[in-house]
Amino acid sequence: MGLRPAVERVAARAPVPVFAVAGAGAQAQVDDLLLQPRLHLVDSPAAANVLLIAGSVPAHLAGELARLHDGVSRPRLSLWWSLGSSVAPPMPPAVEVLDADPSVLVEAVVDTHRRLLFGELTSSPPVLPDEEPAPWRGIGPYGQGGTGMTGGVPYGRPMAEVAPDRDGLRLDQLTVRIGPFFARFPTGLVLEVQLQGDVVQQAHVVVAPEGEAAVEVDVPTTFRDALNTPVPVSVLELERARSHLRSIASALVAHQLPSLARRVLRFASNVHPDQSEDVQRLHRLLRRSQVLGWATKGVGPIPSDQLEGTATGPVARASGVDQDERTTDPAYLGLGFEPIVHDGGDARARMAQRLAEAGQALQLAGRAGDRHHDPEASLESPRGRLAVGDLPAQRLLPLLPAVLEGMEWGDAVSTVVSLDLDTDEVLALRSPDRELPVP
Amino acid sequence: MAALEPLGAALAVFVFATIALVAIRSASDATAGVGETAPERVPFLGGHEPDVHAWSRFHARYYVMALLFLAFDMEMVFMYPWAVVFVREGGIALAEMGMFITILLVGVLYAWRERALRWA
Repeated sequence: MGLRPAVERVAARAPVPVFAVAGAGAQAQVDDLLLQPRLHLVDSPAAANVLLIAGSVPAHLAGELARLHDGVSRPRLSLWWSLGSSVAPPMPPAVEVLDADPSVLVEAVVDTHRRLLFGELTSSPPVLPDEEPAPWRGIGPYGQGGTGMTGGVPYGRPMAEVAPDRDGLRLDQLTVRIGPFFARFPTGLVLEVQLQGDVVQQAHVVVAPEGEAAVEVDVPTTFRDALNTPVPVSVLELERARSHLRSIASALVAHQLPSLARRVLRFASNVHPDQSEDVQRLHRLLRRSQVLGWATKGVGPIPSDQLEGTATGPVARASGVDQDERTTDPAYLGLGFEPIVHDGGDARARMAQRLAEAGQALQLAGRAGDRHHDPEASLESPRGRLAVGDLPAQRLLPLLPAVLEGMEWGDAVSTVVSLDLDTDEVLALRSPDRELPVP
Repeated sequence: MAALEPLGAALAVFVFATIALVAIRSASDATAGVGETAPERVPFLGGHEPDVHAWSRFHARYYVMALLFLAFDMEMVFMYPWAVVFVREGGIALAEMGMFITILLVGVLYAWRERALRWA
């Protein structure tokens, strides 16, 4: 037996390294893939062999998707998990999975990976041409010389600009665009950050240009349904608890605590009105975690005066803003509903807020009986007030630049994760000048 | 002849070092990015290309910690002669060293208050 087949057999038995892109209507399903032991979700395409595109990815991200595809290590293949979407990704995938059942997807991914390793499927070729953005050229007649450390413009990329830093020194400032497929951000979120070392000096959100077709969200969610039809309060509250727990699980993944995240996700997928005590137990467990405490305490504080009137749900309430649309919703009258409010306003407070609200939502779901939410009444989604054309992400994103300024990059990622931005809402944002519209 | 022996040993070390260097370089060239296209070599930023070259000078913030370490390291050097006379001088020597360390500590507290130890 040769060495190569033996190695291939061992490699085929290992969990498949997958880089997953959650398109519109696919965030929850992609998050739940963490529970699949045969898949290994990675944060960088270079660590993956399978590029999983779930749901629908808008056509204006075709260039970025192609670059992402080319970043995946060879042998590689892309796989589309449609999840009810009829819009194929802008880059034709090698394999399509039309069944929404995650076990069918896992089977398909494992089989694709095995066949790829055994040479039954060929690795997909690079999509982009093999060209540097520009040749290395300095100002001299032979391409030599110039300013900066190396002289010239290396491969068309200028050297970093110099700017004053906090200590009065003039040092290089690196401008990078992170996103739209950065693993820890919602798909579609592009941050242009100016970094000195790993300190964010400036950040702003780049929005998709107006005129680009909005993504059709074919997969309905409970809260989107509640805008048009009466939905039982118990269903809404169970969905709220699920959403909060999922958000906590993604924060735990971002803090490199995947085992805890799996525990929370498992709980989220089997959530039941009788389990509010289990949520409290979870709260105690997370409060005891020192690693999580160090990573979230004092990170990304948002003062309450910035959040006054923004109706951004748990984010605002974690900063002490007592605003909840459910207080005026007739369906909640007599249920004994009182908004929970934390102070602190940092990532830790937001996590504690979501856990407390998840427990409260389960209690409300148990007490709600057959009450229904009236579509005419204002609706409190897990991320704040939701109305047609008035999305919580639109009100949250303008806060980001001021919050991220002066932060280390790791804390900046924790902060974005702690805001629990909805992928569908971020993908739906459009602006004529690519700047965030002022709410 | 015996005088040349150390030279032979040095030559052997030089030859082995050169061979090792060439071997490591060739192995690295052979395994790193063979046949990769330009977009495949680009660092991952989430889908966007880097616009600016990543070679940049940034503030090495650990230098303050390094300076503090040096200050206390030198203090240790002063403690060697002090330890010799400590038995003879007794309490006065202890008080003098206490004052010296206190002055240094006040310096650290001042730096702390001025946020010189802040990393980011």
